[in-house]
Amino acid sequence: MKQDLLAIMPEIMLIATAVVILLVDPLLPVDGRRGLSWLGIAASVTAAIATWQLRDEEYSVFSHSIAVDKYSIFFKILLLVVAALAMLLSEKYLFLKKRLLGDYYALILFATIGMMVMAEAVDLITFFVGLELMALCSYLLAGFFRYQERSVEAGMKYFLTGAFASNFLLFGMAILYGLAGSTNYQEIGDAIRLGPVPSGPLVIAIVLVLAGFAFKVGAAPFHNWAPDVYQGAPTPAAAFLAVGPKIAAFAAILKFFTIMLGSQESTWVPLMIAVAILTMIVGATMALLQKDLKRMLAFSSIGHVGYLLLAVIATGSSGRSIGMSSVLFYLAAYTFMNMGAFGVLVHMTNHSSFGDTLDDIAGAGKSFPWAAGIMSLFMLSLTGVPPTAGFLAKFYLFSAVVDAGYAWLAVVGALFSLVSAFFYLRVIVYMYMRSPEQELEMSEDGKSWDLGLGLGIAATGVIVLGILPAPVVDAAQNAVVKLLGN
Amino acid sequence: MYEFQEQIGFPILTVITFLPALGGLAVLFARGKPNVYKGITLAVTGVNFLLSLVLIQYFDRYTATMQFVEKVPWISSLGISYHMAVDGISVLLIMLTTLLSLIIVPASWNYIKDRELQFFAAFLFLETGLIGVFCARDLFMFYVFWEVMLIPMYFIIGVWGGPRRIYAAIKFFLFTFAGSLLMLIAIVAIAYLARSNPFATPVFDMDLLENATFSYQVQVLAFLAFFIAFAVKVPMWPLHTWLPDAHVEAPTAGSVILAGVMLKVGGYGMLRLCIPLFPDAVVAIAPYILVLSIIAIVYGALVSLVQKDLKKLVAYSSVSHMGFVTAGIFALNIVGIEGGIMVMFSHGLLTGALFLMVGFLYERLHTREISEMGGLAGPFPVMAAFFSFFALASLGLPGLSGFVGEFLSLVGLFTYSKPMAAVASIGIILAAAYLLWMYQRVMFTGLRDQKWYKVPDYSLREIVSLAPLGILAVWAGVYPNTFLQLIQPPAARLTEKMAPYMAESGSVVERIFASLGGLF
Repeated sequence: MKQDLLAIMPEIMLIATAVVILLVDPLLPVDGRRGLSWLGIAASVTAAIATWQLRDEEYSVFSHSIAVDKYSIFFKILLLVVAALAMLLSEKYLFLKKRLLGDYYALILFATIGMMVMAEAVDLITFFVGLELMALCSYLLAGFFRYQERSVEAGMKYFLTGAFASNFLLFGMAILYGLAGSTNYQEIGDAIRLGPVPSGPLVIAIVLVLAGFAFKVGAAPFHNWAPDVYQGAPTPAAAFLAVGPKIAAFAAILKFFTIMLGSQESTWVPLMIAVAILTMIVGATMALLQKDLKRMLAFSSIGHVGYLLLAVIATGSSGRSIGMSSVLFYLAAYTFMNMGAFGVLVHMTNHSSFGDTLDDIAGAGKSFPWAAGIMSLFMLSLTGVPPTAGFLAKFYLFSAVVDAGYAWLAVVGALFSLVSAFFYLRVIVYMYMRSPEQELEMSEDGKSWDLGLGLGIAATGVIVLGILPAPVVDAAQNAVVKLLGN
Repeated sequence: MYEFQEQIGFPILTVITFLPALGGLAVLFARGKPNVYKGITLAVTGVNFLLSLVLIQYFDRYTATMQFVEKVPWISSLGISYHMAVDGISVLLIMLTTLLSLIIVPASWNYIKDRELQFFAAFLFLETGLIGVFCARDLFMFYVFWEVMLIPMYFIIGVWGGPRRIYAAIKFFLFTFAGSLLMLIAIVAIAYLARSNPFATPVFDMDLLENATFSYQVQVLAFLAFFIAFAVKVPMWPLHTWLPDAHVEAPTAGSVILAGVMLKVGGYGMLRLCIPLFPDAVVAIAPYILVLSIIAIVYGALVSLVQKDLKKLVAYSSVSHMGFVTAGIFALNIVGIEGGIMVMFSHGLLTGALFLMVGFLYERLHTREISEMGGLAGPFPVMAAFFSFFALASLGLPGLSGFVGEFLSLVGLFTYSKPMAAVASIGIILAAAYLLWMYQRVMFTGLRDQKWYKVPDYSLREIVSLAPLGILAVWAGVYPNTFLQLIQPPAARLTEKMAPYMAESGSVVERIFASLGGLF
């Protein structure tokens, strides 16, 4: 019992903080609520340190439903970084929009706990509880501006499609349970590998699980919710939603498709190839057409999911170790560059009458010299240009894909990165090479240390992961060792 | 794993590569008058040029082994190391880069009016990328520098360029990026194929890769991927279409670096990677490349002949001249390779100078239309003198640098195939035609407007920026040995590498059929 609690100490800390925030919030005046943001950030940082302290141990607790090992620790720390960054980006924005409520921070913390559970679960039921905790908080975050039609629409849309996706997953998981007689990943995997398992239901289960996850990460053809949700949600919440749930879902996807379904590669690899290619097509081509930056970033993140799926495909083959660790590294890089990009939009909204469109960003090179500079950094990183994190991530990922024998898929991926270069560069073109059609109204109210710190961390992350990636690469490689042992 | 060659006492390659980037950061953070950051830029590029002279001084020119080696593990779990080293070819091109970078600072001193600070910073970052490409001995690093030089150039064209700058910048970026992505996948593929066993780390070190052998099919595919990336940069016909747009829109300094150094990076890549890594494929594909080169030579010259815009004329002449580079290199004999490298060097000097002069002309006349000029030798006698010198050098007048390279390149091609050499030499005649005709229309034939007498002739600043290029052009023309000495050992090493694969001989047509037979 003691071990059980020790292993989930970081989660307990977050729960306690979230509860405190909820209790204290109504007692505070609006100005006092700013401190809640720092409370949440402090909790995330402490939890991350606590997680890091567990790195040398391995716990399999709560009747082997939660595994705290290097793999889950990598993801948990990454998720806590996402949570902390999201809170750094949010404070000023919420204040200016007059929705600075403690609930927001509590929701982020609860969602983070759900994601952490998704990453560390080795049992279907535990996984599903984590998933739903994350999902419910996400719907609320998307619809947090309840006086804005767009935000409410985003929350509603996210909820309906999310519930649908959860049901797919649940149904698939139920079939897996029915086939294996257990909810433990390892036991299911053994049963499928060893036993005679009726292939019809197994294929159905694989298709359902894949579809469910495709919904959750926003892979085509189940991606339609993403642009509307990111556009409608409050920008900092969109930053969180574009990154956090994807990380958690990929943590689970890797476990599902190696531990449980590793022996069924021949079934899921072709399916996933189709999904990945379709996702890249949708992501790249639709992003080309967008005028709204948040929608553009939504389609761009769909494109990145396509690349990530390529690496998952590589895990299904000889390139297992590198395939998995490349997913981990890619997610780390993606965190910084994507949250950074959203963060710059938040910054511009705080300081001016910025309306998230390409025309609004025209001439930002002059009116926001620093923000435009790091926005260019994030755009180049998303394109995959060295020496940024995005390049190394893509390089590592293509290595995995080529190594697994899918050089042609890497070529397809490269082709879409070329297309994507066009719309990422367009942001830079607008910022530096065009002059604004009408000047933005600037205001000085938006000054925020939190946001500056958040953007600084994101930019530093992008550069450090691009130039000195060795520690993170090593961590990613160590993290997947145990998973491969199975 | 660690390796450091004590040749000069400090890691000169690292310094010479990253000093400009540090300068760029200093410029970005500089506050104060424009002269402060212009001064920083001038100082940094000046020091870098001196460093490159030191490098040549200490360089042992009688060996083909890589020198000034610096090697430190970088991302060891992926087999990537920080590995820098140079041979004669790199040293020569590094010197060219630092020289041109130094020259463009005074040349663009007053030309850029808007956001000067970022302009000079971009230039310094660009210099780092360019020198880095010439120093890298690790494929991963090579690729990183290769891409790093792309971004500043994209900004230079897109922010400080002419009216259609955005179109030109995006076209430039997408063409190059498309090539790079193919190369990236080829890099990854050969790095993984070169491993001793499936659990070993991939091999990115060029020293090790040069000893690896790849199957014929892998060689052909990887060669093509690399080659397309380099051919876009060179640029070879038919991948050259970005070049005229980029040059016409780019500011003068951008054109100078673009034509002077960036195009050379393509030729350098072919020498450094394509030939040593894939000798089988090179021998098989060389005839096709030669055909393309000859088309480029003649086509570029013909198109130059009909240009109405002075800058476009120089741009298309680059396509023609760079055809001699690839023709020389892929003749696959020592004379041809040396010729190719000499053309690169001399083209860097001469085209750099021509673009500078077009820029100076534009600053005075505010037009580049040849039809609006005429009789300019009257108001601008100094300009006319410089113009005639560089135009003559560019058309290959013996005694100046252009002649040496093109002559050697043609000799190389002649040994490979006589008919090809015959066709290629038409290019030289056409070069004389378009350059002399251009000179006549610009400098003689009746002055259009008397008001140009009120515009001053070349200032000291402009003369100082052109003079070093002129001196080097004469030097390389009269006593090319200084430069040939540098490139002779590495060129010999390349041909030795090719020798075992060159057994088959016969006419070009026979070779083409032979290579087709090998593919299927």
